[in-house]
Amino acid sequence: MSPMKLCVPGERLCSTEDCIPGTGTYLRHGYIFASLAGYVLRKNEGEELPVMSVVKETETQLLPDVGAIVTCKVTSINPRFAKVHILYVGSTPLKDRFRGTIRKEDVRATEKDKVETYKSFRPGDIVLAKVISLGDVQSNYLLTTAENELGVVVAHSEAGAQMVPVSWCEMQCPRTHAKEFRKVARVQPEYLQA
Amino acid sequence: MAGIELLSDQGYRLDGRKATELRKVQARMGVFGQADGSAYLEQGNTKVLAVVYGPHEVRGARSKILYDRAVINCQYSMATFSTAERKRRPHGDRKSSEMSLHLKQTFEAAVLTQLYPRSQIDIYVKILQADGGNYSACVNAATLAVIDAGIPMRDYVCACTAGFVDDTPLADLCHAEESGGGTSLAVALLPRGGQIALLQMDARLHQDHLDTLMEAAMTACKGVSKVLDEVVRQHLQEMSILTGE
Amino acid sequence: MATVQVSEAEKLYVLHGVRDDLRVDGRGCEDYRHVEVETDVVSNTDGSAKVSLGHTNVLVGVKAEIGKPKPMVPDEGYLEFFVDCSANATPEFEGRGGEGLGIELSNTLVKVFSNKHCLDLKSLCISPGENCWVLYVDVLLLQCDGNLFDAISMAIKAALFNTKIPKVHICEDEDGGKEIELSDDPYDCVRVNVENIPCIVTLCKIGHRHVVDATLQEKACSVASLLISVTHTGMVTCVRKVGGGSLDPESIFEMTETGKRVGKALHAPLMELLQKEESLGSKRQKVGFLG
Repeated sequence: MSPMKLCVPGERLCSTEDCIPGTGTYLRHGYIFASLAGYVLRKNEGEELPVMSVVKETETQLLPDVGAIVTCKVTSINPRFAKVHILYVGSTPLKDRFRGTIRKEDVRATEKDKVETYKSFRPGDIVLAKVISLGDVQSNYLLTTAENELGVVVAHSEAGAQMVPVSWCEMQCPRTHAKEFRKVARVQPEYLQA
Repeated sequence: MAGIELLSDQGYRLDGRKATELRKVQARMGVFGQADGSAYLEQGNTKVLAVVYGPHEVRGARSKILYDRAVINCQYSMATFSTAERKRRPHGDRKSSEMSLHLKQTFEAAVLTQLYPRSQIDIYVKILQADGGNYSACVNAATLAVIDAGIPMRDYVCACTAGFVDDTPLADLCHAEESGGGTSLAVALLPRGGQIALLQMDARLHQDHLDTLMEAAMTACKGVSKVLDEVVRQHLQEMSILTGE
Repeated sequence: MATVQVSEAEKLYVLHGVRDDLRVDGRGCEDYRHVEVETDVVSNTDGSAKVSLGHTNVLVGVKAEIGKPKPMVPDEGYLEFFVDCSANATPEFEGRGGEGLGIELSNTLVKVFSNKHCLDLKSLCISPGENCWVLYVDVLLLQCDGNLFDAISMAIKAALFNTKIPKVHICEDEDGGKEIELSDDPYDCVRVNVENIPCIVTLCKIGHRHVVDATLQEKACSVASLLISVTHTGMVTCVRKVGGGSLDPESIFEMTETGKRVGKALHAPLMELLQKEESLGSKRQKVGFLG
């Protein structure tokens, strides 16, 4: 591989006529400048202009962005919404937890008004959700589980054992065989262990 | 100015430097493993440690949250053994609060905060040894720490002080020269664009001299930026050797 | 203190490992992490030292000033401790957040060092009842990864070894009052005898066994810890239990024995290193944080 070029913040890379700015760069006066210290990467994406971006070896902190699938842990519930701590964005763990909210209307796609949060989540559950909004000044990140692949992934029963999903709205405890209500995520079969 | 001659007849200063000569700048990035970004910088006898945490969720007052940008939070503090006279309180006094605000202002101009809405970036600066040019050394060290943390910036921020004695501008003042009672100008510059992020001047200066003083300060800043550039490139090369790219 | 969160599975893992004398990073229960000690890093002080124990980083500066001796002991000088938990270590220490931990640390240090066998305080006296040397020991916590007391005590010992107190001459002036003259020669100084300064060993009880030099993760799995300060002769100057759990007397006895043994073994290599550093004199290349 040819040695990649090093660049530092503020270095002018090229003009906007040659490339499209990617991550780690910014535009100014019709030129693309680097904003990170790292290596310059130039990728060709079909007929459009190549994308110029700057990459660093160590991953910087990711922030949850609109449309991202996040893994979170439920901290408290109340009849109107559930509060969660966002732990992972995609598959990268976050160093610091962010707070999020799942409103009653965003728990599932059908029969939104008949949802009871107590029957969808419990504190301590691990939930897959999608970010719908960054929220305004008062609120946290707004999340939704209104899709088949989103919802509770890991939950513990009242007896303390990890439960097994039975249907989209129920999970069963292997020890006591008691069923509890949750909004269960349909995880793709290849991700499930035998 | 009684007694001490800040500039001798041959053009030498108290520590033997020429009028426009900078002190020796040495720096290292990635000093601490636990922080997101860290750097250590020595400018002559002034030693500074800078540490960056972030971007992370806004701590404490929820009213600080900005919906479209990141909040930059700075704290400037001095070690109790940093000055000749032992300092009782490391931070919390007026001077430290003022310096913290200046640092915040400087870095808000340089960091691309629009990329991180509703989050907070913390920059903590600790002076281990103070020998003049505290603010400039802090800004230089903090720039390196922010680059180490991988937070996008428009450009480097380099800072330097300048003074005026006997119609000659002096670059990069040490403590004795700063407290000598003459003019002292501190400038924080974004070198490539030539934009000034912060400008502060103490004591009186005649209007005619202002241009020469500014020129001297900006040249000094550009000199500092060359050194910082060297340090960053060397660090990147070391990192790539370590990760085997 | 900066905390980590450990899951139940991680706690179990650490517990089982300790039971078999194998910790997460491969050490035995009585092994210390890699320690780096360097003195004379800050030149504004009379003595300074930097210690890094694994990821824990501590910087100590000693400044000697002339002050009035305490009324109860007019012919002795004294030490004043101040611990600054800086925001560098963790953002929770910003502003006044680190004060609680700082006060706790400095109070414990006062107790450990207030023993008359530790330091010859009489040598710090200039003129009884009027002037004496006050050594301000300032500890700066830069990075926190468990086991703060051990790192701080090693750094204090190294910094005091490095301290050079200028010699004083007392001369009478015309009115009969005493005037103190400090000698200008930087080499004409008094050194502090650090032979008897204790080193603190922190032992954490995890399960049924105890470990020396616990990381933050191991600390989160332990119920309680015991602090022992030991001098080079094996004499114990201070014992203190910290933490929310309770210890039974047999464990305390076992932990004290281990602490004495480990602490005694710490002093010899440390003194050797300090002597070697000293003997290099001015030719020594000062690394500080640049290395």
